[in-house]
Amino acid sequence: MRNDKNIYKPLRAKLTDVIEESPLIKTFVLVPEEEFAFRTGQFIELSVDGIGEAPFTPSSSPQVTDKLEVTVMKTGYMTEYMHNLKPGAYMGIRGPYGRGYPVEKFYDKEVLILGGGCGFAPIRSLLYNLIAVSDKLRKVTLCYGSKTPEDCIYKPYISVLRKTPKFEVLRSVDKASGNWNERVGVVTILLDDVKVDIKNSIAVVCGPPIMMKFGTRKLLEMGYPEHDVYLSMEKNMSCGLGKCGHCMMGKYFVCKDGPVFTYDEIKDQPNIWD
Amino acid sequence: MQYKSIKKEEWDKVLENLISSHAVYASICNEFGQDYEMVHPTNISQIVYNKPKPVTSLKSFFLPVKENVTSDRRTGKSWIIIGAPNCDIEGLSLLDEIYLDKDFNDPFYRKRREDTLLISADCFGTQEHCHCLSYGIKPYSAGKADLAVISLNGLIIFRVISVKGENFLKTIPEAISFDDKNTLSDIEKKQKETESLLTEANKGLPDYKATGKIVAEAKKETWEKYSSHCVSCGACATICPTCTCFLLIDKPGFEKVKQLDACQYPGFERVAGGEDALFRLHNRFRNRYMCKYVWKPEKFNSVACTGCGRCIEACIGKINKNELFRELA
Repeated sequence: MRNDKNIYKPLRAKLTDVIEESPLIKTFVLVPEEEFAFRTGQFIELSVDGIGEAPFTPSSSPQVTDKLEVTVMKTGYMTEYMHNLKPGAYMGIRGPYGRGYPVEKFYDKEVLILGGGCGFAPIRSLLYNLIAVSDKLRKVTLCYGSKTPEDCIYKPYISVLRKTPKFEVLRSVDKASGNWNERVGVVTILLDDVKVDIKNSIAVVCGPPIMMKFGTRKLLEMGYPEHDVYLSMEKNMSCGLGKCGHCMMGKYFVCKDGPVFTYDEIKDQPNIWD
Repeated sequence: MQYKSIKKEEWDKVLENLISSHAVYASICNEFGQDYEMVHPTNISQIVYNKPKPVTSLKSFFLPVKENVTSDRRTGKSWIIIGAPNCDIEGLSLLDEIYLDKDFNDPFYRKRREDTLLISADCFGTQEHCHCLSYGIKPYSAGKADLAVISLNGLIIFRVISVKGENFLKTIPEAISFDDKNTLSDIEKKQKETESLLTEANKGLPDYKATGKIVAEAKKETWEKYSSHCVSCGACATICPTCTCFLLIDKPGFEKVKQLDACQYPGFERVAGGEDALFRLHNRFRNRYMCKYVWKPEKFNSVACTGCGRCIEACIGKINKNELFRELA
């Protein structure tokens, strides 16, 4: 196939709003100069002009194509620059890349979602998508954990979800403070509270590697088949094109073959939790 | 196979003309060694046709060490590359699979490939670390270059491989059909001699598939032992015809510079949160072998090691991968 598009050239996008979600996490609202469509779970390469580029999964609805939101934790060189950007600045976007969540496969099933920290970002996009198709789903349960109540993100959205039929939200924090009245402990303890028909259910896990590891282990112990546990993998996806090699996880390019994999697809690959 | 020939003196004159219309590169042997160099009137006599092998591989033409990939694409003269050994030609197959894939076609790589006439050269003789045949690659081209060249008995003889090669020879009236059975038999004899030399030199070396099994099963102690002299310089990956990893560097104006990278460098897989699956030297060292002999073969149709032996020659720690494979075979 002949395609003259320059795969390395970013599309400019104007930063129109910056929402503070927690002391370390902000959501950036971007309006690309061209319509930009993605499937939930796919990622983009987002660049700060002249500084760097990194992969992020949009946290906004895939149904919206004139703007997108990216939720970013301040954790390194490029994200620190990002956190200092003000509305009006321009960023660069390449993508969307990779294989997202196969939402059609979730139809007629219960969806159990396990999320931790900034891993809520891709999950929120998935939730927007699931709400749009909720008539085709049995039930959606979100188990979300963060370090402290202060670190819980998307608080207004949690309230919306709790009022949405078929949607349930369970939350935990590692360390409680203030008037926190939900669970305390690592996020996997929430799975003890979940009533789920595993045979008619799929599970989605997204969060820090350590949480993904123990979350997956617990889901398998609960009886989820390996092919029904969907993981959004984090690697150093640099080009997003299946070329640069930085995100290789055994035979897979996470950027192109993933980032969403079922556990049985990747269980024999090296360093999946590193 | 169709052959054409031209007298050596006439071919040298053809080259003098070609360099005004094309950028012509050839395997040149001089006091600095043997490598691909741009041909000009004063070094035509230094072109070597059937001597293995240039220090660098064909990769350097198609994947420059550094290039701005957001700027306009290359314009200018088409390229003719003369004297590429078949290991280098085969090495391009994997590059083609990665850079010309149907989803994301690299326009810079594609333009260079389309604008280049590849004239391979049969290897008559071997170098110390050549082991192409062990991985199923013949020391002469029959399928993937445009032409293959043999210099013999005062003649330059071309084996016609592609239509592009055939059309190129049509532009050279002095190149005439060649079917001298004795000479063609001599060529075949020389090819067989090279194959014999390779077979003899690489006795005990496992083939590509068996190497994959050895690498996959090798224990941590093996990787620690063989990586103990590795200094993470990345020379093995840089010189390798099939190592293609790169880094994108951001420049003001949303420009991007693509620079060759190597999994042997610390931090290659490090993510922003600090996790780094290849933090330890022996893990990085193993990664390259797993990539070449286990993972890439699972994913792609082309070999990820052509047996050129350049990684052994380039290693400043004198690490010889074939010693590792022989030990574990």
